[in-house]
Amino acid sequence: MPDLAPTEIKALARILDELDYYQLIHVSPSATPSLVKAAYYATSRAFHPDANRHLEGELQSAVAKVAKRITEAYSVLRDPRRRQAYDRRLEAGAGVRMQLAEAQAEAGRQSTEERQGRTREGRQYFTLALADLKRKDYLAAERHLRTALTFEPDNPVFKEQLASVRKLTR
Amino acid sequence: MNELAIGIDLGTSNSCVAVLRGGAVEVLPNGYGEYTTASVVAIKPNGSVVVGNAAKANIIHDPKHTVYSSKRLIGRYFFSEEVKKARAICSYEITEAENHGVRIRIREELFSLPEMGAMVLRELKQIAEMQLGRVVNKAVITVPANFNDNQRQATKDAGRIAGLEVLRIMNEPTAAALAYGFGKGLRQRVAIYDLGGGTFDISVLEIADDVFEVLATCGDTFLGGDDFDDRLIDLLADEFMQKEGVNLRNDPFALEKLKVAAEEAKKALSIDSEAEIRIPDIYTAEGRPPCSIQRKLGEREFGQLVNDLILRTFKVCDEALQQAGVIARDLDGVILVGGPTRLPMIREAVRQYFQKEPKADVDPDQVVAMGAAIHAASLISSDQEAFLLDVTPLSLRIGVAGDMAESVIERNTPVPIEQTRTFTTFQDNQESVQIRVYQGESRVAAENELLGQFEFSGFRKARRGEVAIDVTFEINADGIVNVTARDQETGKQSSTRITLSSGLSEGELKSIIEQARTERVQTVLPPAAAIPALPPAVQAGEAGAQRAEGKRSSFKPGEAGAQRAEGERSSFKPGNALAQRVEGKRSSPKPPPPRKAPPPPPRPQLEVTEPELEIGEPVVVSAPRPSGPPTSGFAPADLGESPDEAPTDEHLVFDATPQRGSDLAPDPVEDAPDLLGDDDLAALSPEIDLVDAQTVPADDEPATRGLFDAPGTDLSELPDPDARKKK
Repeated sequence: MPDLAPTEIKALARILDELDYYQLIHVSPSATPSLVKAAYYATSRAFHPDANRHLEGELQSAVAKVAKRITEAYSVLRDPRRRQAYDRRLEAGAGVRMQLAEAQAEAGRQSTEERQGRTREGRQYFTLALADLKRKDYLAAERHLRTALTFEPDNPVFKEQLASVRKLTR
Repeated sequence: MNELAIGIDLGTSNSCVAVLRGGAVEVLPNGYGEYTTASVVAIKPNGSVVVGNAAKANIIHDPKHTVYSSKRLIGRYFFSEEVKKARAICSYEITEAENHGVRIRIREELFSLPEMGAMVLRELKQIAEMQLGRVVNKAVITVPANFNDNQRQATKDAGRIAGLEVLRIMNEPTAAALAYGFGKGLRQRVAIYDLGGGTFDISVLEIADDVFEVLATCGDTFLGGDDFDDRLIDLLADEFMQKEGVNLRNDPFALEKLKVAAEEAKKALSIDSEAEIRIPDIYTAEGRPPCSIQRKLGEREFGQLVNDLILRTFKVCDEALQQAGVIARDLDGVILVGGPTRLPMIREAVRQYFQKEPKADVDPDQVVAMGAAIHAASLISSDQEAFLLDVTPLSLRIGVAGDMAESVIERNTPVPIEQTRTFTTFQDNQESVQIRVYQGESRVAAENELLGQFEFSGFRKARRGEVAIDVTFEINADGIVNVTARDQETGKQSSTRITLSSGLSEGELKSIIEQARTERVQTVLPPAAAIPALPPAVQAGEAGAQRAEGKRSSFKPGEAGAQRAEGERSSFKPGNALAQRVEGKRSSPKPPPPRKAPPPPPRPQLEVTEPELEIGEPVVVSAPRPSGPPTSGFAPADLGESPDEAPTDEHLVFDATPQRGSDLAPDPVEDAPDLLGDDDLAALSPEIDLVDAQTVPADDEPATRGLFDAPGTDLSELPDPDARKKK
């Protein structure tokens, strides 16, 4: 791997906060996971502290800064759910950086939505059912769960809940 | 002369040193021709220090002044479980130092754990110098993948005390993978099953030619070959108790004999299906004939004894595979590392779990040092021959309200990485904020390892919410953590670059280095005496040939292993130790003499001391600490050192001990408000210092987000997203 030119390093470190993760590791936003991985290998290889031990002072810290951002980019892009969350952020123009905890939380929120229902009605009746359960009104809960399932017949969470409620109503 | 750097596997039981030269890895044998050196340090009455098997043999005669398994204690607090356990079973004296530090007292001297590690490192450094005929002062040192920041920092300190510039703290399984895949142009996914003397690690790696990417690593720092020995010791002691009515555990000498016998029996069972344990006269008392222990131990019986320990390793494997997103069937290979993996019962269990024959083409005792040597060479050379992408084994957390700890960087995130969170003050005219950093997998703060805490102050007094403070968490390629706080308004970073160190302050470390007690380590020269006076220029052809041979033999696992085992047995135990020996049923009573490096004749007591070695370039003893000025001490130990800089606020009193167990409300509030807004929290927890300025709303990250630790506030019932996911 040829050494990086000092001007290149400095320039990159300067504009780091303007590059999105795809630009940073030189892949298109539609790149497949294996392309993302290959790009991560190639770019971290250039900027990893191991490859730049000879650099000193300002350059060393500039390289380290880029390397850490590359790792961050990979940590977000390698996980499909985090990548989706990141893409939504880019689309919304809400910044090019996403802290890992944010990405994780965002991804988690998505799956929460799945858990609680995709349709408005499904969510509505599921929520009612949960309230019934809290009151230990299992018959009402069963009724509401059945209704929720008419809107989302495939929702595994609804089905599972219904099955366990039925055990109680019998 | 070309630069040279060595790789060191600093093990719980045994250590090993290797070097990469001319494209080949050479494991460097010690003066007795052994490729591994026991990590045992004996301190003699005259103050001189002996390391290795000679020291190990000393345990029986002088248990109080012989230190073994000190790696189990390095980087730990005095109140930790591991230290408690060691105090109960170790024959040497373990004492408490300031700020919950640990010291070992030998006669009138106190040694810190890094200094004990340094004794072993010093021995290995001197072995390397003798074998290479030149001064060596750069090294890569390996640690169990699951070591936390305190343990890594302490190991790095050990290197520095030993006069080594530590190029990298490297994970043991990663090193093993490097030794396995280096220069082979592989495209594989492999698992490294690493069962050492004191720790278990499993790593899953993807090897793409010269890139080694760790996908996940998991471990158990409380599980190792020593625990297998302990089971056997318990069995023998219980049986003796039943038969003779005497508890051998109360007799340190008898206990040491049991330990030796148990370890030997385990080793014998690596080769044979049955071992014979014989400890004559283990107990003598007036008025009764001396008692002995003699019994056979079959593989099956031993297997039953340790079966649950073996199963425990596979629980950890499940976790690692899940984290890596692979299933056992997808893996191209499983590589065994560590002495205990020689046991046929373990190989069989590994084979069944991974559904493939485990690979042991490289000696499991040497493979880690070899990988470290490859990486060391790669780090000092201009063309990178191997490129490693490792991960952090433990989640990095920050203390938040209700004695909880919120994850900032999850485990198995690649390193180096940096994450910045912005916080703001919570009260009007607040003058300081308190930051606690933890490592571990629990949402409950006290169940994690506290790396350190610090207070950030000096920002503008303002209404609450007006001051913005960026807290940056960095994990470098060594897996070592740095935390920085910065006032957004002024860009002020005063006393904010913090190293959370193992407990030795920069000042203490310097004074230990000045004391230079590791120079007392007396390393035995090779019997050939091939290296007479050590001028760096003389790289005797003789020595070269010897090395080359060493290299070849080190690659033949079976032979080399057997040779080493015999070597240890035949050449090391002085008369008394031989009294109790364990023989494999089928093993030949007289082992063939080792091919290379015959057992040295009456130990050549050539004392190599520092002056003789310091020919040529001076030994560099001062590797810079990875972080800021010595005054930045927020490590517990530092506080006493620099009372001027360190805030004297009571918050800074290190109080992890009382937290233990006392923290969680025993009777958690049933309706914990998990949908509180910030205002609610204000009412609930007046002591809270900070609020996250980002206030990212998220279902799974409820109101505690960004709130710094507020003692006395009980929000322990907040939902734990991690736990929920696991369920």
